[in-house]
Amino acid sequence: MRVTKSGVTRRDFIKTGIAAVGAATLRFGDFAAQNAAKYTRYNVTSEGGKKALASYAKGVEAMLKLPADHPQNWFRNAFIHLMDCPHGNWWFYVWHRGYLGYFEQTIRNLSGDDKFAIPYWDWTTLPQIPDSMFEGVLTPQSKAFEPYTSNLAVFTSFIQPALAAYWKTLDAGQLAQLKTRGYTSLDSVWNDVTGFDPSQSNGISGNISCANTCWSRYLTRDNPKLDKNTAYDVSPFVVYSGLLPTDFYNPETYLSFNSSKTPSHNTAAGRQSFSVLEGLPHNKVHNYIGGVGPLDPGPYGNMTNFLSPVDPIFFLHHSNMDRLWDVWTRKQKRLNLPYLPSGQDLDTLSKEPFLFYVNGKGEYVGTSHAGEYLSTEKFEYDYEPGFGEKVVSGPAAPKARRALPPARGVVKGSAASVTVPTAAVKTHLGAEIAPSLIAEVTLPHPSHSGAREFDVVVGAPPNVKQVSADSPYYAGTIAFFGHMMKMTGPLHDATFAVPLPKTPEAFHGLAAANATVNIRVLPRGLGQKAPVLKAVTIRTR
Amino acid sequence: MRALLAALAFFTILAQPSSGRIETLVLPRALHAGETALLEVKVGVITRGSEIELATTSGRPLGVISPFGIRSGNQAGTYTVPLPADAISNGRVAVQLSLRQGGSQRAPTKEEVKSIRVRIRGTR
Repeated sequence: MRVTKSGVTRRDFIKTGIAAVGAATLRFGDFAAQNAAKYTRYNVTSEGGKKALASYAKGVEAMLKLPADHPQNWFRNAFIHLMDCPHGNWWFYVWHRGYLGYFEQTIRNLSGDDKFAIPYWDWTTLPQIPDSMFEGVLTPQSKAFEPYTSNLAVFTSFIQPALAAYWKTLDAGQLAQLKTRGYTSLDSVWNDVTGFDPSQSNGISGNISCANTCWSRYLTRDNPKLDKNTAYDVSPFVVYSGLLPTDFYNPETYLSFNSSKTPSHNTAAGRQSFSVLEGLPHNKVHNYIGGVGPLDPGPYGNMTNFLSPVDPIFFLHHSNMDRLWDVWTRKQKRLNLPYLPSGQDLDTLSKEPFLFYVNGKGEYVGTSHAGEYLSTEKFEYDYEPGFGEKVVSGPAAPKARRALPPARGVVKGSAASVTVPTAAVKTHLGAEIAPSLIAEVTLPHPSHSGAREFDVVVGAPPNVKQVSADSPYYAGTIAFFGHMMKMTGPLHDATFAVPLPKTPEAFHGLAAANATVNIRVLPRGLGQKAPVLKAVTIRTR
Repeated sequence: MRALLAALAFFTILAQPSSGRIETLVLPRALHAGETALLEVKVGVITRGSEIELATTSGRPLGVISPFGIRSGNQAGTYTVPLPADAISNGRVAVQLSLRQGGSQRAPTKEEVKSIRVRIRGTR
């Protein structure tokens, strides 16, 4: 199955943004009014992905052979990233979308494959560098890189004169952005290439961005796997957590799909807050491929620094990050939630100028704005489905919600029994993302001297009086907080929503059409009195 | 009558084992339906190539913070780390923080990991 519609259509974009943003701010003409994408970015392991890799290799080889003063030279392309890339802020996704989009055009033109689209590396399902990325020019350890990267002196003599000439062509706007980044001259840029720290008048090996050919990538064909720490950071649990926020941006980063809002995309690193997906899988994959973790104190491979696009795996890694943004966008649409900020925030986000891109013809793009890259339609692509699509389709919860009205239980003391359709229980047990059965437990405020925390257990035998969190019957803990001694007047009932455990041991009698779910509330601590429940209802979501 | 209670209290209990710093965090309240817990970790200045590993005291990995592209001498920033429900016990989670560089591992100082707290996020 293909995703036939890219994340943000022109109509959708206008619906979200037009009320809040002046037409002059955004180039709506850039959003082609079409539903089917012209290009598809395939999983690198699929047949489409393998075909794309062949073209990718041709394109990389052609870029390597271009002279250093050509804007599409392989290393010049990497310097666009070093000089302009945003990290730890809310332009991270959108800037990289533009960078990849133009790069994709370049490969398309230089490879002669007019259908080429950058494949993605879905590290969640394949936590190792794809084997094919060790072939020929697809690894920076290839002999094809040696004439340029065999050592720092070689790299310097090849690229620095061309960069010096380029620096002289920069306009005031570009120089101002570079200054914001801390680059006041080419020498200051070069300090990041060599790892020289002017404040210490010393070189720092871990800061060297120019990786010699021989250590340009830590992982090898014989040792291609992400280690356990990196594999955890790309695991389904972490990636799903990163897709769950419902705000494009929220000042509370744990509620935000994007990282922090900064004055500009070039604002120097230091106090950013990283969203889950940028902070964990994105960063960790970058660093581990370059050897951060096993190696100390560096120098590290290309992927650990801002010249990371020297390693061809960079574009497959970022294609996957962009795909996850697309997945998140389509999830928001399914839930009828905004997938862009609104009002002044959208204006600020969209107006940010990006000044350093090079297009597929080798021309400097000049001034473009972030708002042009909020949609995948600028570059007319979509994605072959990969990990995370379940948050878009979300089949289990809607079915259960339609099937089951709230089921009110029969309460006796601290226990309740609730009859629900067995099918709903099976759906709940089979749900991969989140529980679909939720118990609403109503009980009175405890007295001032009584227990204030209660464990909710489901299907537990009568002799179970206390549970730990790893018990198959444990559903959660109800906790009363606050300065209860200062409360005045009558104490009210309180209702807590508790997701039921997804353990088979908690449910019995699933052979019949209806199942009885037994719920008890146990006081925390020995000798404490069990509460008298007021009501228990099971709902679905 | 219904009332859904929320409280913002949390506290940390510090300890210093040989290879990590343990912080016991109390959830501000019980998780409600569909909610997830996350750790918010503020990382200060750490040496290039250093990483902050998080795990439960029983060794269950919680994630690795690996700052990318942070210039020497700058704060590494604040990171959000999802917290699995099964890492929470009795409304608490004990997190072991380790600073790893190459083959060596030690407890990060209070300047290197400035703070850690639990946040609760709803979902749809």
